[in-house]
Amino acid sequence: MRTMLAILTAAVIGLGAYSIHLHGEKASLQRTVLAQYTDKLTDASEKLSHLQRAVSQSLLFQNDQAIHNELDSVWRLSSDVRSSISNIPIGHELSNQWLSYLGRLGDEAKKTAKTGDYQAWREKMPQISTNLQSLSDEWSAATVDFYKNNGKMDVWLRQVDQKNPNTTFDNVQKTLKDYSEKDFPLTLSESDWQKKIELKALQDSVITEKEALEKVKNMFPIIKDATFTVTRSSDTAPYPFYHIQFHQGIRLGYVDLTEKGGHLLSYLVERPVDEARLSQEEIMNKAEEHLKRLGINDVAFVESRENHQAWHVTFARVHPGDKAIIYADGIQLKLAKDTGELLGANAMEYIQEETIKQQTAKPIDWKTFFDKDVKVEEVKNIYTDNGQFEQRLCYEVIAVRDGQSPETFRIVIDAENHNVLKVEYLT
Amino acid sequence: MRLISIVFALVLAISIFTIPQNDAIAFTEQQITRGAYGDDVIELQARLQYLGFYKSKIDGKFGYNTYWALRNFQEKYGLPVDGIAGAKTKKTLSGYSDYDEGWVKAQLNAGNQFTYYGGIPLEQQVKNTTGSSGGGGGKSSGSSNNNGTKTQVPPKYTERDLQLMANAVYGEARGEPYEGQVAVAAVILNRLESPEFPNTISGIIFQPLAFTAVADGQIWLEPNQRAKEAVIDAMNGWDPSENALYYFNPKTATSKWIWSRPQIKQIGEHIFCS
Repeated sequence: MRTMLAILTAAVIGLGAYSIHLHGEKASLQRTVLAQYTDKLTDASEKLSHLQRAVSQSLLFQNDQAIHNELDSVWRLSSDVRSSISNIPIGHELSNQWLSYLGRLGDEAKKTAKTGDYQAWREKMPQISTNLQSLSDEWSAATVDFYKNNGKMDVWLRQVDQKNPNTTFDNVQKTLKDYSEKDFPLTLSESDWQKKIELKALQDSVITEKEALEKVKNMFPIIKDATFTVTRSSDTAPYPFYHIQFHQGIRLGYVDLTEKGGHLLSYLVERPVDEARLSQEEIMNKAEEHLKRLGINDVAFVESRENHQAWHVTFARVHPGDKAIIYADGIQLKLAKDTGELLGANAMEYIQEETIKQQTAKPIDWKTFFDKDVKVEEVKNIYTDNGQFEQRLCYEVIAVRDGQSPETFRIVIDAENHNVLKVEYLT
Repeated sequence: MRLISIVFALVLAISIFTIPQNDAIAFTEQQITRGAYGDDVIELQARLQYLGFYKSKIDGKFGYNTYWALRNFQEKYGLPVDGIAGAKTKKTLSGYSDYDEGWVKAQLNAGNQFTYYGGIPLEQQVKNTTGSSGGGGGKSSGSSNNNGTKTQVPPKYTERDLQLMANAVYGEARGEPYEGQVAVAAVILNRLESPEFPNTISGIIFQPLAFTAVADGQIWLEPNQRAKEAVIDAMNGWDPSENALYYFNPKTATSKWIWSRPQIKQIGEHIFCS
């Protein structure tokens, strides 16, 4: 009995010591995490003040170089504050609003520096500077609790998760929402882009579930005898579609079709794939056959990539007038390496079909445009987004810079104003 | 006319006989060009490097560096300059170069940095990076050290992005159908395009309170090939979530806020919303 008691006592003491040790470790970890969050929070708050000052300072100058430096600071600081805020545990919505507001401010500074439209900046920024000051104050008031938690992370997280109205965070969130709408209203191009991705342009009549299934069987005869489960998208989805899941032998997958017109959004099959038997050339021929069967005949090959079990091949629509490739109207296919079977098709971008405005291509003398060590290997006319949701006619140049080991670049240049829109390093 | 034919036949015969018949030809009969990946490309790069045409890393990926090297080789050896390694090009290349397949594969499998220039002893062409476990200089080796998996991601993504996303997909959705795994990967990429989220994949995945797999440590489980395939499909454009920015499991979600988001569709246990 005495021995039992001794063992029990020892066990209780041991467990107690272990529990104290665990608790100590947990507390230490919590303090470390909280220290990092505090650092980010302090950083965000301080840089927010700097950002407000940089916006204000940018309004001081008429001199191009001086204003340029301030625009640089606005862009850099907005990016820094964005990064700090994205590392703080705050509510999703508040975080989203902040990142969006700061991103738009930074983009505006970058755009102004690029276009030199300082007048628009001067007209817009006085109000934004005032708003930033008020946001900075509200943010300081809301986050003061963070410093009062005595190193207790769970207390802070509980506060963040609370949905009580009228908390200080809700005030910041509400103010941010108001300012975002007023300070950075959607541009016409953004609003068009939003409509496009929500498939507002589709005007076809609604098809029934049965018609959707028939379409699927016609498009993908290999699964015509599959067992299908059809569900409709939620009522709150930006565009209605049928979600059709299927199972046939070794094949398991889904097809999404728009409710309006039954256009293919995407198709994906999972099945075991054997050793590669087809050559690259045969795969490309198969890809073109699949496109024909899907009724797609206005596209050109863009690129292909071989992977573990499949080839991913991309095509894009060719402009009927100038024959330039419209990258935004891309369609991707996935083909099995063993038989060339279509394992996937993604037509989401293709069915959105860009509206292309008439543009003229002004020739460029590559010898003076590029450095003397650069050799232009290929030039293609394409349409691509200029970062402001506008499709621009561009020259896509593949150029090689000579050196100890030659380097290849893809450069996209606006064909009308010769702005460089993109430079990519290719390996 | 007859004389021309005789001269032509002679030139052809001489050119065939003068191509050195080097050691065993290991190339497959398949024609390869940009976008290809695998053993044939490793051999192509090694042989081109042996002759001094290819100066980049031997990684088994037929990209632009391989393309220009091949074109230069074709030009110098009087072959049609098309950047395609067909039967004739492969035969000529095999004739003029040497390829020690065992040695090259051993270096790739060990994750070593190495070159394969002709005329230099092989032992002088290896910089051993063992211990870096695929990181640093040896990270982009074509045949990866993990089960010989072969992956190529679109140029705007890196292999690090692939790894990180595969970890997230496996940690978040390993019990979900394949479609559901692609959808989770697509949500991460949709956030990358959205101005409301951080602008790096790492920033999105590790954003505080964003993913439960990060909070409960499941993100550090070793992802399987299926999760990687799902990420590759998402990187190539597939989005079964139909532009969703969030998803949640209605049985386990604790946040009230997530229920306020406009829902799009359900895949497996996850509801996807915008």
